[in-house]
Amino acid sequence: MKANELTTEIKELNLTYLMLAQQMVAIDKDMAIFRLGISKDIADILEVLTPGQILKLANSNMMLCRIRFDDNLIFGMLANYTKDKAMAQSHAAILMAGQPAEEIS
Amino acid sequence: MRKKSVVSEAREIQTAIEMIHLGARLQLLENETNLSRERLIKLYKELKGVSPPKGMLPFSADWFLTWQPNIHSSVFADIYRYLIRHADCRGTAAIVKSYKLYLEHCKVTGMEPVLSLTRAWTLVRFFEARMLQTASCTQCGGQFVVHSNDLHARYVCGLCHVPSRAGKTNKARAAALAVAAA
Repeated sequence: MKANELTTEIKELNLTYLMLAQQMVAIDKDMAIFRLGISKDIADILEVLTPGQILKLANSNMMLCRIRFDDNLIFGMLANYTKDKAMAQSHAAILMAGQPAEEIS
Repeated sequence: MRKKSVVSEAREIQTAIEMIHLGARLQLLENETNLSRERLIKLYKELKGVSPPKGMLPFSADWFLTWQPNIHSSVFADIYRYLIRHADCRGTAAIVKSYKLYLEHCKVTGMEPVLSLTRAWTLVRFFEARMLQTASCTQCGGQFVVHSNDLHARYVCGLCHVPSRAGKTNKARAAALAVAAA
């Protein structure tokens, strides 16, 4: 993949992510806070973003969403479970719910 | 008698309807809304087509500590804690929302929901009464539902250290046989 294509893909993903996140916040803010793993302050910002602002935000060569398993343990549970899939996923859900939310300082 | 607001009554009926759909028992509805018992029974019959079940609610705190229910209730408890800490919903709204997220988790992972809304509500009441609490597992660091009076210094959760016969129910065996036969 060329660098040019890569930035286009990143922009597109950023745009989709922001639009989906905004929609989730609009439908149910509390559940969106859980699903996205963000703090209330970020949810408040997402809620009031205008389409123009979303476009400007998305137009970047950096990804705006981040990987949530910054932990080898959770990664292992989600990716290489051996026997009981449901239990491994539940275990990962318990650990992920215990993680701190993404916050702005 | 205090003056009744029509708007707040409508809102309470809406909450009651949602909770009945999620499988709430009558005692829970009576506790969480200000509607009269007669109205709630009527509402229940209208939505479910049958009379609400009679008898006592499940009251055992030990149920939450057996292997499979413990995992299910820990998933619920962690979602609930997350919502209380980061979102601003409280009380019934927080319980209903976390229960919906729990049901979603079960659906995605293909598990049968073991925890009912009434049990989830009981769990929160047990937390508030300090009969149950969460302790972090020394191996994975996750928060799991435990008795308040147990020793948790070297607690290891049921998922890091799976008991040898855990999950091997008659139902699971029958399902495995059905898969093998097909």
